[in-house]
Amino acid sequence: MTTRQFLISAWNWNPWVITICTATILICGARNKFRFARKSAWLLAGIIIFFLTLASPIDALADGYLFSAHMLQHLLLLLIIPPLILLSLPSAPVPISFQNGQWKRFNWILRHPAANWFLGIGGMWLWHAPLLCNAAVSNAWIHRLQYVSLLLMGFAFWWPILTPWSKQRIAPLAGMIYLFTACLGCTVLGIIITFAPVEVCSIYLHPMDRLDILPLIQNQWGLTPAKDQQLGGLLMWVPACLIYFCGILGLFARWHGETSNTAIIPESTFTKAIKEQPHVR
Amino acid sequence: MSKAAAFSTAIETPPLGSAYQGLYSWVATVDHKRIGILYLLTTLVFFVMGGIEALLMRIQLARPNSTFLSPDAFGQLFTMHGTTMIFLVVMPTLIGLANYLVPLMIGARDMAFPRLNALSFWLLPCGGLLLHFSLLAGGAPAVGWFSYAPLSETSYATNSGVDYWTLSLLILGVGSVAASINLIATILTQRAPGLTIRRLPLFVWMILVNSFLVILALPALNAAIVMLFIDRHLGTHFFAPANGGSAVLWQHFFWAFGHPEVYIMALPAFGIISEVVPVFARRPIFGYEFVAASTVAIALLSFGVWAHHMFAVGLGHPMDLFFAATSMMIAVPTGIKVFAWSATLWGGAIRLTTSMLFAVAFLIQFTIGGLSGITFAVVPIDWQVTGTYYLVAHFHYVLFGGTFFAVFAGLYYWFPKITGRMLSERLGKLNFWMALIGFNTAFFVQHFLGLMGMARRVYTYPDLPGWALLNMISTIGAFLLGASVLVLLWNIITSLRHGKPAGDNPWNAWTLEWATTSPPPAQNFDRVPPIRSRRPLWDLAHSENPDPIVGGIASSDGFALEKNRVGIVSFLITESVFFLMLILAYLFYNSHAMNGPTPTSMLNPHRTGIYTLCLLASSLTIWLAEIKLRAGKSSAFRWFLALTILLGIVFIFGQGREYLRIFHDGVLVNSNLFATTFFTLTGFHGLHVFVGLIALLILMALAFAGDFRQGRIEAVKTIGLYWHFVDVVWLVVFSVIYLRLLL
Repeated sequence: MTTRQFLISAWNWNPWVITICTATILICGARNKFRFARKSAWLLAGIIIFFLTLASPIDALADGYLFSAHMLQHLLLLLIIPPLILLSLPSAPVPISFQNGQWKRFNWILRHPAANWFLGIGGMWLWHAPLLCNAAVSNAWIHRLQYVSLLLMGFAFWWPILTPWSKQRIAPLAGMIYLFTACLGCTVLGIIITFAPVEVCSIYLHPMDRLDILPLIQNQWGLTPAKDQQLGGLLMWVPACLIYFCGILGLFARWHGETSNTAIIPESTFTKAIKEQPHVR
Repeated sequence: MSKAAAFSTAIETPPLGSAYQGLYSWVATVDHKRIGILYLLTTLVFFVMGGIEALLMRIQLARPNSTFLSPDAFGQLFTMHGTTMIFLVVMPTLIGLANYLVPLMIGARDMAFPRLNALSFWLLPCGGLLLHFSLLAGGAPAVGWFSYAPLSETSYATNSGVDYWTLSLLILGVGSVAASINLIATILTQRAPGLTIRRLPLFVWMILVNSFLVILALPALNAAIVMLFIDRHLGTHFFAPANGGSAVLWQHFFWAFGHPEVYIMALPAFGIISEVVPVFARRPIFGYEFVAASTVAIALLSFGVWAHHMFAVGLGHPMDLFFAATSMMIAVPTGIKVFAWSATLWGGAIRLTTSMLFAVAFLIQFTIGGLSGITFAVVPIDWQVTGTYYLVAHFHYVLFGGTFFAVFAGLYYWFPKITGRMLSERLGKLNFWMALIGFNTAFFVQHFLGLMGMARRVYTYPDLPGWALLNMISTIGAFLLGASVLVLLWNIITSLRHGKPAGDNPWNAWTLEWATTSPPPAQNFDRVPPIRSRRPLWDLAHSENPDPIVGGIASSDGFALEKNRVGIVSFLITESVFFLMLILAYLFYNSHAMNGPTPTSMLNPHRTGIYTLCLLASSLTIWLAEIKLRAGKSSAFRWFLALTILLGIVFIFGQGREYLRIFHDGVLVNSNLFATTFFTLTGFHGLHVFVGLIALLILMALAFAGDFRQGRIEAVKTIGLYWHFVDVVWLVVFSVIYLRLLL
């Protein structure tokens, strides 16, 4: 099989994925009366990436062949799709039910960045414990659970930064620390995976060649299991950090863009008035 | 007094007295201005020494097959030159400038921790003397400034030079970290009312970012150096491949520090340029936000690019690919800065003072150095030119043509503030043109030499076509550059005596340091002008046309930080990185089978688990102690404090028994890599528990002396935070070493 044949044939028309994608587009489109706003672009991008993550050849490769493809899926589900969806939501006041209604207790968790941080980073570490990593590849239900949990944890992680309830957003400087420490968390995991002499996910060592593409991967692409794991670790280490890093820059922009009321202050009576002096040459 | 006077803040005047007279007062000073001057003078001495070392090397290289220096002397010289210039000149000069200027620029009276400030300075001469003492003790280190293992191990570096190198760098590292913690605490907590973070002068902003870079990067070097020291003195094998160690790990650790270090040496220089260029172009900086944000971007990216120093090691295709990409990415924020400075110049009423000339030369030379730097991100080019004079040319363009020119610009700019007298512009121009011509003559030709294949760090070269000529040109340039430094020294000496009096604000600058007298009084300010924008003195002089108010009328950032808390948190951040390095080393060496003792055969997780519970309980008791103190129950406070100390002692006792048991089985720190990493990691943790216990005992003594009755609980909170940290670190260490065995 050639690369081209593989890229054409390995699509996975999973009915669940297609249903979720169309349903989201229809529901959100109906809410907007099918007018295309700038925010809709985020949503569309999120849905397209979601579709590519779970239906494109990436999924076929992640399904027992390549650890690095699995890592790519992991990153997209945790770090790309949730922020895109959150960005597409129109900003809104905090709903009454969350302020002091029946959801108040739940809101405490939403407002507590430490909990969200541990959900986001914990999810990343947890699913790379060798036991869970292997289980997720070999058991279809655990695999689905993994997808759903990654998405949910991604939403939880990005919530304090990008919540549409702008009153509840984390303060910009605190947000930068939030993202920087997250970057450290995934850097350490990435370094360990990249340099670990042991296999994080041993199931990828001896793939069952269902699609007959093993020769393609190992000979033509040159991805041996060792290189594959290195690549996976590097994906977690470098691009993941760059995403957090974009978040930090975004927060910085938000911080400097903030304007509060600019009332004019009366002149002060600073005694040592500094007058223009002739230029010194 | 009008209602507006509320915006100018009166500051108490401290008593002046014998503390400000005589030589002893300089030794005992805790005044940030004097400490700043001491920093600058000390680094000037080291700068001359490092320069002489460089000139000696250039004499040797002026002709092919020269025998002026022996190979060993040459090796010692380039090691000492690199180490001196980086650790004894560039870093402390920038820290010294920051020390002098930051409190003035933020309208503060002094640094947050003046005594700590004095300590960080005195560690500098201490470390410098220790390094140079190696010359008397059998020879300087001759292993290059990055001391690659296994060359730096005892089997190759047989004299004590490397030992002095390690000790000196540890001391200097502690000094830099202490100074950075101090700067962070100062900038975050001592700002004058109205000076919100968004209104900070860019120099201060960059020093803030830079200080975080220091506290995050330096511990990586310190951890590596500690391991090297243990290797050399306890016979272990961290970095000795013959016994299972990894020389590549040294390179990873070193460059994980080394690349951020490049920016540690560049960011404050960017800050100087961002102050000098607007003042002499008579325009506010173009794109303040972009310059500030790109600083953060550079700082963050700098941690993700170190492997580009190691392309020639053979890390594998995927590694090369990712690090080439990130390394190229750093060009973007750096480019943004260069554009911002150029755009500030565009259309400005430029005054070409000496300071401005140096700043403009910086722009051009730094850009050249940056562009040749990008070529190193391209892996195949890197393979060709790494380890040649092309690399030497590149980093001298960044560090001399960049950082040093910026420092000279800053020196000519702030000298009037520091001394009250102007530097001579006539001598200054001479100094500038000699430096410019000398520098470019010395280093531009080295690009060609490198491309022709001349290897760096080799004491001589064969008489190949063109090499002799280019090297001679380079040597002549180097001497011209050396002469320009003499002009600078002469300028400083004569101007100190006969220079024109400067007045408060000779350049019509806009930041707060120019609002006080030159030199500033001991208390810095009697009154701080109102601050509503980034150029408070402009607003003051042009009340009809003030700058737009930045960030609304808010006079604070909406958060108040306490300086002790900021200090201890910064300290704990740097400690965490240190432990992270030790933990990564443990994981790295213990993830594959080895001969000799193993964790499974030596350790018992259940037994240590009990002692772990004791340590965790002590976190609870110190927390309760703090609550009791806050509630004013001082006897309950003392009881809980005593209980904390007791639990800590029990833990230390448990660790001691564990060690004795392992020693009893004949296993010592040098038995194998498990023993080495185990003892290093747990030993350093034990040391921290021990230090924590001493601090708790001091608290106890203070408590009995009745020190906390007035509710001054910062000390208790601070030590409490440290103690929690020690416990959290143990929790991680315990999981990594012991809990892994249960899985």
